[in-house]
Amino acid sequence: MKVLVTGATGFIGRQLTLSLAMQGYDVKALCRNTDHPYLIEHKNIEPVTGNILYRQSLGRAMQGCQQVYHTAAMAKMWCRNPDDYHETNVVGTRNVLEVAAGAGVQKIVYTSTCGVWGPTVKHPMSENDPRIAGFPIAYERTKYLAELEVQNFAKQGGIYIVTVNPSRVYGEGPVTESNTVGKMVSAYLRGKWHFIPGNGEQVANYAFLTDVVDGHLAAMNNGTSGERYILGGEDISFNDFFKTVHQVSGKQHRLIHLPLKTIEFYSHFEKLKSQLTGLRPFFLPEFAERLKYDQKYSSNKAITQLGYRITPFTEGMHKTINYLQQA
Amino acid sequence: MIDQTAIITGASEGLGKSFAIELASRQINLVLVSLPATGLPELASFIRKNFEVKVNYLEIDLTLAESYPAIFNYLSDEQITAHLLINNAGLGNWSWFEDLNIGFYKKQIELNVITPVLLTRLFLAQADVSATSYILNVGSLGGLFVVPKKQVYGATKSFIRYFTKCLQLELHGSNVKISLLSPGGINTKPELLVMNNKLKGISKATIMEPGHVARIAVDGLLKGKKEIIPGVVNRMLVLLNSLLPAGVKEIIIRQRLATIIKS
Repeated sequence: MKVLVTGATGFIGRQLTLSLAMQGYDVKALCRNTDHPYLIEHKNIEPVTGNILYRQSLGRAMQGCQQVYHTAAMAKMWCRNPDDYHETNVVGTRNVLEVAAGAGVQKIVYTSTCGVWGPTVKHPMSENDPRIAGFPIAYERTKYLAELEVQNFAKQGGIYIVTVNPSRVYGEGPVTESNTVGKMVSAYLRGKWHFIPGNGEQVANYAFLTDVVDGHLAAMNNGTSGERYILGGEDISFNDFFKTVHQVSGKQHRLIHLPLKTIEFYSHFEKLKSQLTGLRPFFLPEFAERLKYDQKYSSNKAITQLGYRITPFTEGMHKTINYLQQA
Repeated sequence: MIDQTAIITGASEGLGKSFAIELASRQINLVLVSLPATGLPELASFIRKNFEVKVNYLEIDLTLAESYPAIFNYLSDEQITAHLLINNAGLGNWSWFEDLNIGFYKKQIELNVITPVLLTRLFLAQADVSATSYILNVGSLGGLFVVPKKQVYGATKSFIRYFTKCLQLELHGSNVKISLLSPGGINTKPELLVMNNKLKGISKATIMEPGHVARIAVDGLLKGKKEIIPGVVNRMLVLLNSLLPAGVKEIIIRQRLATIIKS
């Protein structure tokens, strides 16, 4: 069976193409540049040049495909042109859906994010919980708007479509710009990560890449059309995160607890800097604000309905660190 | 302190949802009111679980005459006395007067004018005179400035401004505090998220996040502030408005109008 993966050079997309190829699918790997270093070579993977913003290229790529995994997205913390988030995430997703409907595609899995829920209060969020905060973070705002596109598309019926919402994904893969965990861990291993935000008790949810990829396949095969599934992992505080990295790697580096007020102040300075110079900011106020909150998510729906499995954080981090040390 | 309960209209989304979260985080029980199929049961159960307050909800259409007594009959059946009323539900528009049909304007006036007036009347009738009661009317900076393409919306918010200011005089010295919230733009509905994000300069600086507006509004309400204008830039605009002569303001608005017509 022929399947298309958009965002085939992304952190999730590239592992997904490999997993599909190893299972015997004929995988068309959509990327803007087929010479991309992160594109995986495999006899079952056919690189296809294309861009989700050009519908013609999407139409060509989808020819003969029965299934589409739409993982392509603008997931960076910052873009020089802020409209890129809306273009890629909202318009791009609309293009993929509409072209797929015209090309005879039967099933689509759309990769969203737990960022559509964002901050949590006391208990982990699940699929039916509401979002409680606004949308100052462009990535979260546009992924939310993209989910509305998917919901409208699902209501029209006809094509099977399932949304998956990974949390903060980490694992054995390249340290790309949107791979936040990879950046933190590899900096720590090189002794170049020095800070823990605030008291370090803020909790986030970390999903292991292999689990997330398996969750995509399960969503395609065993999901219910129109539904969303959180693909997460364990809820871990910053303190426990770095404690685990220290224990697994055997490397101990002194980390300083940086007060949130300091981070907030510095983030405003960084924002001004990037506005004046056009240079990439290291951190932005909307992210500093987020550090005050937990981001805990429950994967129970995926576990019961898709057979989703969570790799323990220590085990996942072990594999991740091995990978980073060999790379 | 006694258990307090707040009625919030239009609670399922945007600023209303932020009011619900803000009040719940201050351990105030809630009665949420919104249209059916807007996610109210999910919001109610989320708030109960995470904030450990009592949450009741009513899925009704506030433009129907029977809805107003229905809310308070429900409260008396449940033996709940409301101490706070957040008149938040409203319908906005940004379009030329002749572009929308009469049904829209009827609904807009019903929701923005009739609903808050009647709910305020019924709320005061059930208020516990021995405790302080609070009413927050959500107006708009649009009730202060004449903005093209907001003809009916702005007029309804001017009504709310007059209504609130007048009640403040009438209720002076009583145990009822009534505040007017006059926000600028807020990032709430999906269409607004897209539109607001395209703004530049001063217009962009007037836009705020709903959670932030709700926090400032509840602080002001509980302190008994008469008018709450969230945001420094918005307060400066109001100050400027009171300083500029009418003629100058008209020139500015005409110029704005000219650029709007061109675009």
